[in-house]
Amino acid sequence: MKTPTEDHDLIRWLDGEMTAAERERFAARLESDPVLKADAEALLQLGAALRAHLPGEMPLPHADFFNSQIQVRIAQEDEPARSGAPSRGRWLEWFRLPSFATALAAAAAVVIAGVMIWQQDETGESMVLSTYTPNPGVQARAFHSQEAQATVLMLDGLEAMPADHKIVGYHIQHSEREQDVATTLYGERGEVVLVVSEDSHHQPRLLSVSTQP
Amino acid sequence: MPAPTAPDPGEVPDSDLVKRCQAGDTRAFDALVTRYRGKVYAMTYHMIQNETEAWDLSQEAFIKAWRALPQFKLDSSFYTWLYRITHNVTYDWLRKKKIQGDGEFDDSHTEHRVAAGAETVPHGDPAPDVAMKRMELGERIRDAIAQLSPDHRQVILLREVDGLAYEEIAEVVPCSLGTVMSRLFYARKKLQELLKDAYENAD
Amino acid sequence: MRTLAVITLALSLLAHAAGQQPAPGSPPGGSARKPATDGKVWGALIYATNDPKGLIGSKEQAPREFAGLQARLGKVFPYQHFEILGQHLQDVFREYESWVVPTKDLFLKVDSKGPAKGGGMNLHLQFWREQQVLVKTDATLRADSPLFIGGPKWREGQLIFVLVLQK
Repeated sequence: MKTPTEDHDLIRWLDGEMTAAERERFAARLESDPVLKADAEALLQLGAALRAHLPGEMPLPHADFFNSQIQVRIAQEDEPARSGAPSRGRWLEWFRLPSFATALAAAAAVVIAGVMIWQQDETGESMVLSTYTPNPGVQARAFHSQEAQATVLMLDGLEAMPADHKIVGYHIQHSEREQDVATTLYGERGEVVLVVSEDSHHQPRLLSVSTQP
Repeated sequence: MPAPTAPDPGEVPDSDLVKRCQAGDTRAFDALVTRYRGKVYAMTYHMIQNETEAWDLSQEAFIKAWRALPQFKLDSSFYTWLYRITHNVTYDWLRKKKIQGDGEFDDSHTEHRVAAGAETVPHGDPAPDVAMKRMELGERIRDAIAQLSPDHRQVILLREVDGLAYEEIAEVVPCSLGTVMSRLFYARKKLQELLKDAYENAD
Repeated sequence: MRTLAVITLALSLLAHAAGQQPAPGSPPGGSARKPATDGKVWGALIYATNDPKGLIGSKEQAPREFAGLQARLGKVFPYQHFEILGQHLQDVFREYESWVVPTKDLFLKVDSKGPAKGGGMNLHLQFWREQQVLVKTDATLRADSPLFIGGPKWREGQLIFVLVLQK
């Protein structure tokens, strides 16, 4: 049985954390101890496999949108005192871009956030501040309808729901959070209708108990 | 051995960008985000193995970094400091979701992967454990990483994937140098055990 | 195995809930700890169509305070008929995610980001179609200013999700 110090020697050698003198002494040990040498070689092989298969840097999906949304959130946290905000139509155009993965969007983000904050303060309307559609075939565009006095988030490019698919509607009046892991939804008569939870990959799990008449 | 990124010659050093951020320059912060987003995303992705959540957590880490920048005294490198924030954000998330440790999260994850492998073989063919052996090495490695506790997972990723020195890992986690070494040792032994037959079945 | 675990958990929760089934009309789950909330939202899934024969005959009615919703929808979406397929009145929990599930097909996950300046709530919303998230959005929701989400086409019309902050 090796001592913790010996274990630490091995990993310090592996990780290049030894001084030159320590390395020299450890190299001599390796030559005289075939078991230790085999162990060291196996761990070197493991390290190489990890580095080969787990990249230290990965391309970020929607990278420009990632940056621009950060800029929007930063601007939201700053003081909203921005004068001379551009006209309202400008930021709406941003949302209409086919994808947010454009350098223009990133560059315009601060201005956009400024407009949004200005608009929030002035109008008292609901606002869509940012959107992200994981499916690149789907585009989101947001606008405010003065006539309807509503904010609209339009999703273009969605696959149609099959015509023969039956949609069962619920009438949920109340919910209870259970043990921090699931939400129970109750209907009009206090009956349990659904239990909603998330799995470890954060996919929702909906378990229906009864259907509405 | 991978090494922490050093700025290319001619590239604005992190410390200059940090100082500009501290003066309120959001464009400087945008440059830092661009410089480190791929690394932060890779780190969170390897930790939780969920693309969408890793994207959100990476963004959260940068937002928290922006908020904390006024207090950052440049007494360590920006990337070590940023990794520490990323570490905290990821751990908060794991804690909130109550999937920390060797329990529910890891078991379910493993079962999920085995089932996915098993689906590719017809009924009556090899059992799931055999199907698992046939899994591609990269998938085996990701699966093994997921079976480590978050503490061990984080340390091995910081060392092997990001190439951080022990002192930097100790600063990110934070913990003592002895703990870094112990965790690295245990994590490697556990990975060896989980992957002991992987190389002979590797593609 | 994982699915089994989820179902087992859900069933145990249901057993727990069933054990606390309240009398009709009374608030259910009275003994459960009440988590902090930031407000209340009403969500509905609407079927919009120009074909009156295509309506499914749902009896669902919007609460009185949201009356006139159909007319407002008609200002945005090019349809004549708007039928409520399902509806959900939901507390927005402060510390937990909230779900607005008028149907199992299209539903919303709501995370509170706290009160908004000038009233209303800052929310992070995720619009789900079964197991697929269609859009994630940060939004400020204010009373008297509903959010309409234009969803997928269905039959001769379109599905629309409506979210309204209760006063």
